[in-house]
Amino acid sequence: MSPLDPRLSRRQLFRAGAGGALGLYGLGALGGCTVERPIDKPESTAPIKPEIDGDILLYNWAQYMDPAIKQGFSDKYGVEVNEINFDNLEAMVTKLRAGGQYDIIWPSTEYAYRLHQEGLLHRFDRASLSNADGISSFYDGGWWDPENEYTVPYAYYTTGIAWRNDIVSGMTGSWNDLTNPDGAGKMFILDDFQEAIGEANLINGWDLNTADPNELDVSKQTLLDQKEFARGISTNSTQNLVNGTAVIHQAWNGDIVNVRNQVDNPEDFSYETCKEGVPVGSDLMCIPITARSPGTALKFMDWVIQPDNAAQNVMWNGYPQPVDGGKQAFASLVKDEPSIDVNLEALGDGGMEYRLDNPDDRALWNQVWTEVKAS
Amino acid sequence: MSDRAFWSRFLLPGGLWLLLLFAVPICLVLALSFGYTDDLGRAVYSNTLANYTDAFDPLYIPVLLRSIGYALATAVLCLLLGYPIAYYIARYGGRRKHLLIALLVIPFFVNYLVRTYAWVALLADEGLLNSALKDVGLIDTGIQFVNTPYAVIGGLVYGYLVFMILPIYASLERMDGALIEAGKDLFGKPSRVFLHVTLPQTKQGILAGCVLVFLPAVGDFVSAQLLGGPDTYMVGNLIQDQFFAASNWPFGSALTVVMMLFLSIWMLGYLRSAAREARDPVAAGGV
Repeated sequence: MSPLDPRLSRRQLFRAGAGGALGLYGLGALGGCTVERPIDKPESTAPIKPEIDGDILLYNWAQYMDPAIKQGFSDKYGVEVNEINFDNLEAMVTKLRAGGQYDIIWPSTEYAYRLHQEGLLHRFDRASLSNADGISSFYDGGWWDPENEYTVPYAYYTTGIAWRNDIVSGMTGSWNDLTNPDGAGKMFILDDFQEAIGEANLINGWDLNTADPNELDVSKQTLLDQKEFARGISTNSTQNLVNGTAVIHQAWNGDIVNVRNQVDNPEDFSYETCKEGVPVGSDLMCIPITARSPGTALKFMDWVIQPDNAAQNVMWNGYPQPVDGGKQAFASLVKDEPSIDVNLEALGDGGMEYRLDNPDDRALWNQVWTEVKAS
Repeated sequence: MSDRAFWSRFLLPGGLWLLLLFAVPICLVLALSFGYTDDLGRAVYSNTLANYTDAFDPLYIPVLLRSIGYALATAVLCLLLGYPIAYYIARYGGRRKHLLIALLVIPFFVNYLVRTYAWVALLADEGLLNSALKDVGLIDTGIQFVNTPYAVIGGLVYGYLVFMILPIYASLERMDGALIEAGKDLFGKPSRVFLHVTLPQTKQGILAGCVLVFLPAVGDFVSAQLLGGPDTYMVGNLIQDQFFAASNWPFGSALTVVMMLFLSIWMLGYLRSAAREARDPVAAGGV
């Protein structure tokens, strides 16, 4: 029988086509529906209390929490702490919207804001946590959570430039250092539309989050020029630096910690934040309304930000935690290269956050980034 | 019960599987391609054509042409590398034939993504290969292998080579070895025997191999993402970015549908050629 079986007559083909058309018509009934079925929301909107009410399931990035932290909580309170992982936020949110029952999730500020807008997060009183006083003032009334009732900060990172000081000289602490001539053909921009457009905006003196089409047009040209100069566009900054492909890399401070742990010559790797502005990113802990044990979840958050636990966790994952204990642990971790340790409170106006909560602005930024990458 | 009816029942599990987990998702992608993204970044089904007008933006033409170019180069390289391997194993593999085929297939037990990461470590500026070349004094500074179009094509060849070798091997196995003997008996030089006997006999294997390599290579995103540079952006990367970075599933779906239609044209071409061959091998260039 050949692939084009003559027995599959025209009539059969016609019928198959008609069936397909009917199916499509059926799909038309989906109009207006979101991809995920709306999930059942609890009627009560009273804030939850930190009290043990069952086992919990964490939905976190992989390798982001010391297993001993979970074990310690489990031993102390006699509940199970289980964990599953996601590898990008879009996938995490999709599963959550489809009704996934997780007790704690780790969104970025922008995703936390959106999830709250959708009514998918439990409300709680941050002050009800016994370790709330240790949280950095940077996280007091953030734009994504003005009343401190949906989020607790987990870790933060700054965006700057990592470079090989044995190959590149004349770095000036500016985003223009990305095109330092010593790095020609061996420079990388992060493959992240916000980080890339963000540094270009800062170079041009615009607001980090500008959505002015004319300003973005200039920033696009900045990126196209950088692209000419670059070796690549990549988020594998750790690997690119370790294997010698990059000598200048737009990078997150956690990456440079990892790089220095992996090479024989850590003193050759430097990191700077830039005077035009220091983008700060944060991962938060939130409790979805689908949580089975929201009380235990809140208690676990309190456990995570307890100073000794925070310190232990930072030593394990290498990311700064903006709470007492975590801050000091990170400072000791990077004492040989203090530039990696960015003091959030001291950043003042230099510390900036990405904030594209207007969908049109977000679409415009994505369009600019696609044009940069595609052309 | 007729034989046909008897065997047809066993189609049910596979058929259901394909319907539920293949046909339905494809229909959802098709439906979503007429949708939009709401203010909270959620994909919503609708009936807009905007995603399709966007998909035909001239901006994406170079991306598409680049993807086709890389995929064609990949298919040609796979053919040049794969044919002799398939030929050797089929003709001279002897008792070790199955072992050799197994050796070819074993690397493919390892995920493509992991193998591509291994390539990065191997080919980086201070990677294993460059270090070795420096140690033996062949070069002074590292050669730039990664982040080039060549690395992307190399990664694609590495990823899909086995899909070229296996169909060619199968067609060589099916071929009657006596035909080659006959060609030689007619005093054909080995090259002429190959061109006039072996090659036409394995044409369908070659075509199948080319289709199996070319089609997935056009839509590949792993190779360009890990081995590519600033100017190696492929259609697969564009689509992946719509889903995971831009939160624009409807546009990603529209691009997917356009690409599927485009690839179907090539697939149809192959099916027609295969059908012609089956009906009339001589006219189609066979013996």
